[in-house]
Amino acid sequence: MEFTSLLPRGVFSKAIVWVFLIVVCLYCLFPFAWMFSTSLKTESEAFKIPPTWIPIDLTVDSYIGIWVRKNFGTYFFNSTVISLSTALLSTFFGALAGYGFSRFFFNGRRFLIGFFLATQMLPGVLLVGPYFRILSKVGLYDTRTGLVIAFLTICLPFSTWMMKGFIDKVPDELDQAAMVDGCSRMGIFFKIILPIVAPGMVATILFGFLLAWGDLLWALCLTSSEPMITVTLGIARTVGEFRIIWPMLMAGSLVGGMPAIILYIFLQRLLVQGLTAGAVKE
Amino acid sequence: MRRTRESTPSSPDDRAGINRQFRPVGKGSNSLPFPEMDCLLNFGIRIKDRHMWALFVGPGVLLLILVLGFPAVASLSYSIKPEQAGTVSYTLSNYVNLLKDPFFKKTFWNTVVFVFLSVASHMFLGLTVALVLNSALPAKPLFRIIALLPWVVPDVVAGIIWKWMYDPIYGSLNDFLLRIGLFDSPVEWLSNPKLALFSVVLVNLWRGFPFVMLILLAGLQAIPQYLYEAAEIDGASKWQLFYHITIPGLRKMIVVALALDTVWEVRRFGLIQAMTQGGPGILTEVLSTYTYKQYFQFFRFEYASAISVVMTIVLLFVSLPYILMISQEE
Repeated sequence: MEFTSLLPRGVFSKAIVWVFLIVVCLYCLFPFAWMFSTSLKTESEAFKIPPTWIPIDLTVDSYIGIWVRKNFGTYFFNSTVISLSTALLSTFFGALAGYGFSRFFFNGRRFLIGFFLATQMLPGVLLVGPYFRILSKVGLYDTRTGLVIAFLTICLPFSTWMMKGFIDKVPDELDQAAMVDGCSRMGIFFKIILPIVAPGMVATILFGFLLAWGDLLWALCLTSSEPMITVTLGIARTVGEFRIIWPMLMAGSLVGGMPAIILYIFLQRLLVQGLTAGAVKE
Repeated sequence: MRRTRESTPSSPDDRAGINRQFRPVGKGSNSLPFPEMDCLLNFGIRIKDRHMWALFVGPGVLLLILVLGFPAVASLSYSIKPEQAGTVSYTLSNYVNLLKDPFFKKTFWNTVVFVFLSVASHMFLGLTVALVLNSALPAKPLFRIIALLPWVVPDVVAGIIWKWMYDPIYGSLNDFLLRIGLFDSPVEWLSNPKLALFSVVLVNLWRGFPFVMLILLAGLQAIPQYLYEAAEIDGASKWQLFYHITIPGLRKMIVVALALDTVWEVRRFGLIQAMTQGGPGILTEVLSTYTYKQYFQFFRFEYASAISVVMTIVLLFVSLPYILMISQEE
């Protein structure tokens, strides 16, 4: 049903809808525009009163600065490695578990599903303390590996749930046909199910990547040295510095948010499908 | 065969397709044609097909218990240890101290206000935008991409952009409001004690409503068109259609969105940490940032664990309807 039909007919109501949409778009986009504009300013222009909305002397110094004067290269490398490993690992285990939940009706299935769902609800701060102690003990504090293990706690439940949603949509007649033809369960999973749900796997990997990329809490608690920190932590640390160089911080934020934005724009249809297949079922 | 396939064609009580529409796909199907068939694994191990689930679900469950269950229990056990190693090995004193701690009380109420305002505003704006986007508009995909952008960027980035926008002197928001004449003097968004929490909520609205919109939009698109057509033939008015078809059709999605959003907002950390770090004073301090401080600034591990356990209990309680609803369906 068209919501717009609830409004009185005519040019007026159409105008209301458009004005509303434009205001929402401005609300969504304006902060990004401001970030972009600031990132192109010189430091002195950023502290002009009143602020200039469009930079007068355009400069890309900030974009060079974050790589040269700050260790953005290292942060980026760390974030990429950590997020990608987390996403791949959790999607693999999630797909396995998702297949199990989707196809087998065993005793305790409902309980385990409840368990997976409940683990999605745990707050990170419940786990950071023990993680800090345990990882310090086994020498994984301030390492990328430690963070990957920690991020699995956030990503695995979601991945399982999303993958189950995708696998549910694959008719089980396929499994049966393959079994009649003598294919083993593992064969079915790897040779038939995974290729079919490949788009779903991409969506799940993307979602896991975004979760890990955007995290601050774990990175803050489990890493400390400059060569190990992630993009988000690098940005957060800059805010704590005595003198904040806003153009550079904005450039850093933009670059730090970019992978998420680009991946999202290209894969948004998949992500929407994934979220509605797993987190939400139709 | 332990379960048989349910009759998929519409049953008599399958009123107007609603039931069929929201029935999970996997339910009732059984893909075990040969439950007793032996599956040959490596090393000559044989396992019956109906037991194969353990191989699929097992690794995930074990991993989850290892990386999540174990630390969670560890946290629980920290929380009942005394802060000073003394005569008793287990005590509830941390929880008693919690109740006496005025900062904890303030933080708790901040969290309640923050979460309530955030979720309420997310639902309102999310539903409105979803309804508008569900109608035939040109450039709808573009709007959807734009509306989802705030949700994609990392929390920290969102917090920092807004911190800079909120800047009373150099920020663009005050400049804008002064230019259009809404205010005469700059507003101290984040340092005014009365405004700080609401300013943070405003950022959180920006950041969080896209998810609700996404879920509700998917829900709207899943409502079958013929329901509306049938009701229109029966002479229902537009508002009746909205109240009797759209809202009931969305009910499940609303529960999902409410539950997930509430949980996420209670856990929200990076946004506040990047913007205010709980300040001014503790006016924007929420449970997650407070716990973090107790852990890593005051090193009160036991006390911090107690706070996080309380938080967990609240979260599980809040999300219980959602967990039950989903696992009942399975």
